[in-house]
Amino acid sequence: MDYLDLAMNKALSLGADYADIRIQKTTTQMIYLQNLSLKNTSSNVLHGYGIRVFKDGVWGFAHSNQFNEKSLAATVTRAFEIAKLSARARKGAGLHLAPERSYIATYRTPVEIDPFDIPMNEKIELMMEVNKTIKNYEGIRQAVFYILMNKDEKLFASTLGSKLDITTQFINPLITATAVLDGDSQSRTFDEGGRAVGWEWIEELDLLGKAPQIAEEALMKVKAGTLGEEKRRTLILDPNHLGLTMHESVGHPTELDRVLGWEADFAGISFATPEKLKNYRYGSEIVNFVGDNTLPQGLATAGFDDDGVPGQKWHIIKDGILNEYGSTRDTAMEIGLNHSRGCNRATYYYDQPINRIPNLYLLPGTKPLTPAELIADTEDGVYIQGRGSFSIDQHRVNFQFGGDLFWEIKNGKLSRPLKKVLYKSNNPEFWNSCDAICDERFWQPFGVVNCGKGQPSQTARMTHGSAPARFRNIRVGGSQ
Amino acid sequence: MSKNIEKALRYIEKNCKADDYSISIWTKDSHETRFAQNTITQHIAGDNLQLSLEVAYDNKTGKARTNQLDENSLKDLIATAQNTAISNQPDPEYMPTLGKQVYPKPVNLIEATAKLEPAEMVEIVRKSIAHAEKQDARVSGMTEKHIQRSIIATKKGLYADSSFSEFGHSMTMKKGEAETKVSFNHKDYAKFKLKNELDRLSSQMDSLVQQKPFEPQRIPVIIRPEALIELISFMSWFMNRRQADEGFTPFTDQLGKNFFGKKFSLMSTLKDKDLIAPPFVSDGLPSEEITWVNKGKLLTMPTNRYWAQEKKAKPSQLYNIYVPGEGTTEAEMMKLVPKGLIINRFWYIRVVDMKRGELTGMTRDGVLYFEKGKIKHAVNNLRWNEIPHEVTRRILAMGESVGVEGYAKIPPMLIDAFNFVDKTSF
Repeated sequence: MDYLDLAMNKALSLGADYADIRIQKTTTQMIYLQNLSLKNTSSNVLHGYGIRVFKDGVWGFAHSNQFNEKSLAATVTRAFEIAKLSARARKGAGLHLAPERSYIATYRTPVEIDPFDIPMNEKIELMMEVNKTIKNYEGIRQAVFYILMNKDEKLFASTLGSKLDITTQFINPLITATAVLDGDSQSRTFDEGGRAVGWEWIEELDLLGKAPQIAEEALMKVKAGTLGEEKRRTLILDPNHLGLTMHESVGHPTELDRVLGWEADFAGISFATPEKLKNYRYGSEIVNFVGDNTLPQGLATAGFDDDGVPGQKWHIIKDGILNEYGSTRDTAMEIGLNHSRGCNRATYYYDQPINRIPNLYLLPGTKPLTPAELIADTEDGVYIQGRGSFSIDQHRVNFQFGGDLFWEIKNGKLSRPLKKVLYKSNNPEFWNSCDAICDERFWQPFGVVNCGKGQPSQTARMTHGSAPARFRNIRVGGSQ
Repeated sequence: MSKNIEKALRYIEKNCKADDYSISIWTKDSHETRFAQNTITQHIAGDNLQLSLEVAYDNKTGKARTNQLDENSLKDLIATAQNTAISNQPDPEYMPTLGKQVYPKPVNLIEATAKLEPAEMVEIVRKSIAHAEKQDARVSGMTEKHIQRSIIATKKGLYADSSFSEFGHSMTMKKGEAETKVSFNHKDYAKFKLKNELDRLSSQMDSLVQQKPFEPQRIPVIIRPEALIELISFMSWFMNRRQADEGFTPFTDQLGKNFFGKKFSLMSTLKDKDLIAPPFVSDGLPSEEITWVNKGKLLTMPTNRYWAQEKKAKPSQLYNIYVPGEGTTEAEMMKLVPKGLIINRFWYIRVVDMKRGELTGMTRDGVLYFEKGKIKHAVNNLRWNEIPHEVTRRILAMGESVGVEGYAKIPPMLIDAFNFVDKTSF
């Protein structure tokens, strides 16, 4: 009998109402190169198992890295015992789990070239060349190239009878050039986020070919002017900027655990409360957000979540109206839903899974519209590429965002580069001000690999996406 | 030393063929009970272990990490680190490992915390929930206990081994639209008095019952320690010697100058018994008493070993935060300015402009308006954009230093003209 069966039999013999085991091996390779100095070249393996026991409406979760039958049994018993302890501070009958059936399935991230098969020296040679190219520009004081490669191999079993064999992978390259001039310092970053693909993506990106542009844009930015006083302006936002905006202002507020107040002590709650479902105007009529854990190359695409619920696709905002949340088996029933949307995910084997943002993206506009046409149609505004400073209140209403590269738009043209631009807005003002979205030809994904949440803190990953979009009448200005 | 760890160290010592190596081992035994809206939502227990091996052949380095200590895993670990180093490019900033060091002996592992049982932790949660229910309120938070150990060993004979304990209990209470939070963190569970925390929570909640709208503006603020630590932590993060020397932060060319306000000093200390003070920092360097800022003058900044060698400076690291206070009470502070706000906590602080040291953030968990020495009412939460080192130049008064987050001791401060730039709807 394997560990999966042993654990589930033990949990049932103790009297668990439900239990699952997740054996997880996380392998990462990380290379951090700064000014031709390799600050970190490391390979890491974390291997262990986490066991959840649900008993009388409460959870117990225990984990171990000891792979022997005695430790396994002790870990199941520990999870069961602390679930029983939890019942002493339970409200009413406790939690209920949304119905789910059992699955026997396998999922693998489609990968053409496994990045772990590429010799370390080949990766470093490419990174060195990019780093040298950037550092050779006069005025560039710092060149950084960071790359993270991650593989998660999971075996999951539950007392429902599910047995899942899941391997997911992603890569996240990041290149930054920092220029120093006349008492100022400005950076430009190549950042398309993480993507669930193989090394073939790195080859397609032609990072060495992009290096001169990164350096030149950093130098352009440090010499750029500022916007001056804050006033209402038009914004055009690129997909690699909007990824973070939607993450903070739509993704987190529509996590059902936040809506229920389960994150109240740390990450905060949500203004998007259940009475607003199906009637609250979150955005303009062209704003459609889809949760999609089946998205190809999506960082949250894994076949199943850590509840053993299959990946799904659903509208979170439909025609501007709040439609549904991202949910888990234990949050769904709290608002009377009889199904989970499969958003329960843990980072490492020792993390208890929590309600996470799914792959979440803004659907492209339905009418043909190019970014050039969008800019040409804008008299006075600011065009923002890339992500910068971001901050939002703990109910997910008021926010302030920066960016990475800024252009002033005058009479339908990019007139001059800018630096230190900030915009301030709030929900629902911001998404209701969206009056144009480019069409599907210009839709791009943006993968977030470090979404921090929970106590103890975990970092999850998910993919966002959009085409360039326009927002009217937003407060835009310079930093203090 | 546990037998498995001892065995792993001996195995690496015997089998690692690199010119130089450093082994780092970290263990953590945790119990975490999380509750929300008057019920337990998560309950986690388990041990963690990570062993990291960094090797060097001349100045070519490689690193590998595992959480398994069996021979096969250690063999793989050594091979991975060695092969990475062999195929790596030379690192011009490589620093050889250190030899044997002498360490201070701060007491960080406290028996009362180590002996705390899960049943007692659940009882703390149960009483916290009962307290909220009595007030027709909802409480969320976490009760946690951690025992951590950190070991560094090098080929040249350095051996550093340190353990510490942590206990924490946080509570966010919501009653109607009012929300507030208290939290306790200390290495010694015996210092925890639930009644004190519940009284503090009730007192804060009572002050928030009546809320009125408030527009963003520059106004004096009393920043309580739980909020202030966030501002000072971000500012400390900017205070890196190399980053300053290379022109990336506001601290460029400021060493030895009166860069902060005269009332502001910042230290790391092994002497304060309330603070967790590790006997060693990265690379196994012994922790020392350090004054970073003395009465406004920037004396030194955290500097890694490579940059210290380049600049002929002493390597140093900020390992805890101590800001001496003055003893002015909150009531006295309110009388020093015509009107102002009291800030309980900050939230979601992010860098706006690294070169200027400018940050943005929100208030949360209760903002109070005072006038003529008296609290008048609560106000909505506000967004601020500020430059922390400039904030220290606007310190009007300070209270007594109190422990926050286990690693810091700082006073509440009365700051003039704090820059609020936006408001939110609650």
